[in-house]
Amino acid sequence: MQPGDLSIILPELVLSIYAMAALLVGVYGGKDKLAPLLLWVTSGLFVAVALWIGFQGRGTSVAFEGMFIDDAFARFAKVTILLSAAVILLMSEGYMQRRGLLRFEYPLLIALAAVGMMMMVSAGDLIALYMGLELQSLALYVVASLRRDSVKSTEAGLKYFVLGALSSGLLLYGASLVYGFAGTTSFAGIIQAAQGETPLGLLFGLVFVIAGLAFKVSAAPFHMWTPDVYEGSPTPVTAFFATAPKVAAMGLFARVVHDAFGGVVGDWQQIVAFLSVISMFLGAVAAIGQTNIKRLMAYSSIAHMGYALMGLAAGTAFGVQAMLVYMAIYVTMNIGTFAFILAMEKDGNPVVEIASLSQYSRRDPVKALCMLVLLFSLAGVPPLVGFFGKYYVLLAAVEADLAWLAVAGVVASVIGAFYYLRIVYLMYFGADENHLDTGTSPVLWGALVASAVIMVVGVINLFGIEGVAAAAAATLVN
Amino acid sequence: MSDGAHFLFLIALLPFVGALVPGVMIRAGRTACASFTAVPTALALILLMTFAPAVLRGEVIQAEIEWLPQLGLSASFFLDGLGFLFATMILGVGLLITLYARFYLSGDDPMGQFYTYLLLFQGAMLGIVISDNILLLLIFWELTSLSSFLLIGYWKHLPEGRQGARMALAVTGSGGLAMIGGMLILGNIVGSYNLTDILAAGDLIRASDWYLPALILILLGAFTKSAQFPFHFWLPHAMAAPTPVSAYLHSATMVKAGVFLMARMWPALAGTDAWFYIVGTTGLITMVLGALIALFKDDLKALLAFSTVSHLGLLTMLLGFGTEAAAVAAVFHIINHLTFKAALFMTAGIVDHEAHTRDIKRLGGLRHLMPVTFVIGTIAALSMAGIPFFNGFLSKEMMLEEASHTKWLDSYYVVPVLATLGALLSVAYSFRFIAHVFLGPVRDDYPHKPHDPPFGMWAAPALLTVLVLLIGILPAVAEPIVTAAASAVTGADLHPHLKIWHGVTPALYMSILAILGGAVLLAIHAPLDRAWIKAPRPEAKTIFDGLVAALAAFARTITEGVHNGAISRYLAIFTVASVGLGAVAFAGGGLSERTRELLPIPPVIAVGWLMLIVATVSVVLMHRARFRALVLIGIIGLSISAGFAYLSAPDLALTQISVETVTIMLLLLALHFLPKETPRESPMGLKLRDGLIAIAAGGGVGGLVYAFLLRDIDTISDYHIANSYEGGGGTNVVNVILVDFRGYDTYGEIIVLGIAGLIIYALMQALLEGPAARRLRNVDYSQDRSRDRHPLMMVVVTRLLMPIAIMVGIYIFLRGHNQPGGGFVAGLVIAIALLMQYMASGFAWTQARQRIEYHAMIGFGVVIAGLTGAGAWVFGLPFLTSGYTYVHLPPIEEFELATAMLFDLGVFLTVLGAVMLMLYSLSRIARYAGSADVNVEAMDYDPSERQSDAEEAR
Repeated sequence: MQPGDLSIILPELVLSIYAMAALLVGVYGGKDKLAPLLLWVTSGLFVAVALWIGFQGRGTSVAFEGMFIDDAFARFAKVTILLSAAVILLMSEGYMQRRGLLRFEYPLLIALAAVGMMMMVSAGDLIALYMGLELQSLALYVVASLRRDSVKSTEAGLKYFVLGALSSGLLLYGASLVYGFAGTTSFAGIIQAAQGETPLGLLFGLVFVIAGLAFKVSAAPFHMWTPDVYEGSPTPVTAFFATAPKVAAMGLFARVVHDAFGGVVGDWQQIVAFLSVISMFLGAVAAIGQTNIKRLMAYSSIAHMGYALMGLAAGTAFGVQAMLVYMAIYVTMNIGTFAFILAMEKDGNPVVEIASLSQYSRRDPVKALCMLVLLFSLAGVPPLVGFFGKYYVLLAAVEADLAWLAVAGVVASVIGAFYYLRIVYLMYFGADENHLDTGTSPVLWGALVASAVIMVVGVINLFGIEGVAAAAAATLVN
Repeated sequence: MSDGAHFLFLIALLPFVGALVPGVMIRAGRTACASFTAVPTALALILLMTFAPAVLRGEVIQAEIEWLPQLGLSASFFLDGLGFLFATMILGVGLLITLYARFYLSGDDPMGQFYTYLLLFQGAMLGIVISDNILLLLIFWELTSLSSFLLIGYWKHLPEGRQGARMALAVTGSGGLAMIGGMLILGNIVGSYNLTDILAAGDLIRASDWYLPALILILLGAFTKSAQFPFHFWLPHAMAAPTPVSAYLHSATMVKAGVFLMARMWPALAGTDAWFYIVGTTGLITMVLGALIALFKDDLKALLAFSTVSHLGLLTMLLGFGTEAAAVAAVFHIINHLTFKAALFMTAGIVDHEAHTRDIKRLGGLRHLMPVTFVIGTIAALSMAGIPFFNGFLSKEMMLEEASHTKWLDSYYVVPVLATLGALLSVAYSFRFIAHVFLGPVRDDYPHKPHDPPFGMWAAPALLTVLVLLIGILPAVAEPIVTAAASAVTGADLHPHLKIWHGVTPALYMSILAILGGAVLLAIHAPLDRAWIKAPRPEAKTIFDGLVAALAAFARTITEGVHNGAISRYLAIFTVASVGLGAVAFAGGGLSERTRELLPIPPVIAVGWLMLIVATVSVVLMHRARFRALVLIGIIGLSISAGFAYLSAPDLALTQISVETVTIMLLLLALHFLPKETPRESPMGLKLRDGLIAIAAGGGVGGLVYAFLLRDIDTISDYHIANSYEGGGGTNVVNVILVDFRGYDTYGEIIVLGIAGLIIYALMQALLEGPAARRLRNVDYSQDRSRDRHPLMMVVVTRLLMPIAIMVGIYIFLRGHNQPGGGFVAGLVIAIALLMQYMASGFAWTQARQRIEYHAMIGFGVVIAGLTGAGAWVFGLPFLTSGYTYVHLPPIEEFELATAMLFDLGVFLTVLGAVMLMLYSLSRIARYAGSADVNVEAMDYDPSERQSDAEEAR
């Protein structure tokens, strides 16, 4: 360890120390009375760190003998993670407060999860990978079952944990095989070993590592936890699940396959493409029958991960760039959508039934319009920004000679459009009006409107994100 | 790019900017609103007309601005004959509709909103026809779906309006999404997303392997948009929209977008068999089917809608033929259809507006009440029927001419016969429109007394009928635009001559046949209608709804099948998927030749292996009885330890055996408070399934290990063996790995172990304060309790064993660095020694006699290990670098002291503390549960006391 190493992971250090110190303050101080304050401070800190990383970061630096990599790719992912986590935190305040769930641990667990995620996207070594992954997962297991008095929430947490532990086991099994056959845990070393004809042991290791990662991104067929956990967790937690951790897991996925196995693209390309295809189709088809909007979003996120994986399956720098752009857009759309879902209340109680949105456009035209934009964007309908995300990955797939994958993706998106449009249809032409509450907190309203506006205005130049993503992808794929 | 080309951007932009106008102007009144809405449209039209001379000369006007270059997307527009024709139509009809809607919409309708949607739609439509970039085209394409959704659903109070909006959106939106894929492939084949480049690369595209998928995907978009069979069903249902919308979207513009696309892509895609059979056949079917259904529709707008479907089919068929003459006919018919169909829709709207019904059965005799409308409607309908001197006749003749010599598969009859049939039906429904609405006696039961509308309302259709007649009588007026557009479609330099009389051709006979047959059909319409109603026929909407329901049911089956909430199923799927991936890897990986032979199996080992198998199978069979299962697990653990010992891994054996003992003992204690049996869970079938999955997974892993063991593979162990003495100063490689090479891991592990102990303690603490404590106090042991819980023999033996065990523990600790052993095992051994005391004499007695805080022990352990590691910093070495030296202390022989040993001490303390803390936690429950009779004596029955009792007695 060199002194310089610490300065490279300074953002992570700051966040970790903050989380631990705040935990102590929480325990010995005002406990849950402090929760709102901690929430705002954590969120503010996220934004500050995101800006710091975004504007200060230069070039590529490596710490702890390759364990930790700070490059444009990691910075892109980190900024996305931190900003989305910050917004989701703010969005959750009202909901958690009203349901008596705003414990002081909540923002801190999110902070720890964020540290884990930052670690994940910066991992340059199997050990660092696992450490980040588990730090994130452990925090998430807990927040999933935050509503302890609800059977569903507890069950969600338990299922998530059991399946998560299994997948971690699988990942570790793979990692140890990789270590055993490559003789090193560092990605830089593995890529030396994994060239040309892959030895069987290494291939097995790769496959199981991918299986473990697929669980984390909730790609079919390792997605089983997603609907139950999305449904059972408190809605803000669901919103969180749908955003930052997905970016982190995708980032990690990209890092592993490119940094460690970039020499044997052919070996993982088919597997990732396979995961992509079934995720897209399962997500699209299974979402149709849903009546609960949280479950619907779960399937939607499975399908979206399928598209992101399509970018990855391309195995090119452009593919990674497409994936990054896709994830950034996906996160933005999901923030808006969940802001809307969080505001769905009837007589002060949360409502998750899709049917309750019937004729919503009459009750609140502005919000309904924003939701319409977001849903169309989620469906990937041009000219909204969601289309560009989808188009990016399709293009990446086609350019990588995976046209069959792109065609499959298009077909899946046609199926998928159906359930998004069903909500639009209900909101505008539903049979009878449902009296959802109309008032919305300024934070939720702001998040919803902002993300809808981004979906429309973004078509001008995607806010220049593609250039940043291209630079990020270039550092990962050589 | 010529100077004026920049105006193309302006043309494209004007409607969108204009869409803001009605919202602002609506307060100024309805007429003002409509007038201002017309301004951007009119401006755009004027701008467009400035290009007219150049375009008609065959020039192509292009303008481009980079947008998202990496995606191949640029804001580029171009205007050629085809685009010019469509743009004129869109803007021209747009103006007429704006006028018409002003009078059509009632005072209650939010007019501003209507005009906004209308302009948005107009902009999107205009964008489609002048885009020079297929991505841009896609964007506008979906925009039309969106804005048409809003327009169709404009009258929210009508339930059919809602249904129609949904279906239209579902069908056309999905088609557009499919088109994305097609465009993408096209762009990839050509290497450019510029339409002009793509159109120039037709041969390349047609030769590509991906031609067919691209074609199908693009046609999906075109067919859904232009309501081609089997997607024709959405269009009539969209007719619930206000009539101006129907007239604009469903006759003139949106539905033509599909036709436009096929015409646009003609140079790139047409000319193959696939194109002919897919496009041509679809068009043919749609033409006949649409006309047939139209004949039997009583709703005026539904009749027109199906007639539109039929005419779109005609256009599609013509384009499908792939010949230049057919293309000319198609272009010409596009113009003609626009004029008469828009006029007809507006007529229908007027009738509806005035008579308050569109039901043909309730109408008739309107020619006396609404003479102006009658004239307009009749002219337009005659044109639709294809009567000479109306423009519909001209293009229909050209169509029949083309059809008459088109071969379908091997037959020369299919196409002409069906085309004639389509024309015949077309005549029939056109006549019916005239006869049943306007002719006949005046009725006295109209829902509302009809009369001719104000001039503003009939002005627009009247203008269109003037065009109908003008082109019909003087076809040459349309020649320049048809020439320009047809040349643009085909890419060839065409000079068609439009004229009324072509001589006596097959087409003429077909035409005559059609007109006569149509008249006959109309005459026998009443009985036919009754038969039609009786005849079973598939209702497209029912099919669509059925499809949607089926899809939903399918989705639900999948969801319920996969996500039924049972974690056992999730685990099953997870495992199967993992095994599957493993199989893929196995199949794909290069498995080298086996290089090692199997070793002979000694009989003893075979027996041990058999025992292991038997015990494992027994656990599976008997796992419901938990004590028995625990005993069997113990056997398995011991067999595995023996296996390690046999395979020359004494370290592992030692660790395994002590871990095994400790865990079994702790489990035994914990079981005390748990049910003695596991509940019955799965039925036989599930067990079988799970069994098979388990065998597959276990077999997979076993097979993998087997495969590796039979091959010489470079592994990491060589490195550790080579470096353990030099680098770590120990000959016990395992121990050196633990405390040195992977010191970090070990350090982390002991912390985890310590935390685990503390967490168990904390959980117990929480448990004993809650309602669980109450239950514990009232716990009722189902079994009889032993009267001899702390037997004499056991007490005596454990006391004797205690010092020996501690000695062994210390020995193992000290030799650890070079020989099997180490802090971890030592900690466990001593923990076992202590555990035995607790078991023999009970918790209370033992606890009273030990004074070490387990919490502190854990803490010390971690701190010692941490400090040892940090000590390396003092010497400027990385964390956890170990140093060692040899010490000679008489009279003991020389021994080695390594800092690693200090680290090991930390490990030892932590392990011991953690295990004992767990035991302590468990015991607390025991004390709660049976607190009444906690023993304070070392044993239940103390013979020495008995002796003294006897003495006393004596």
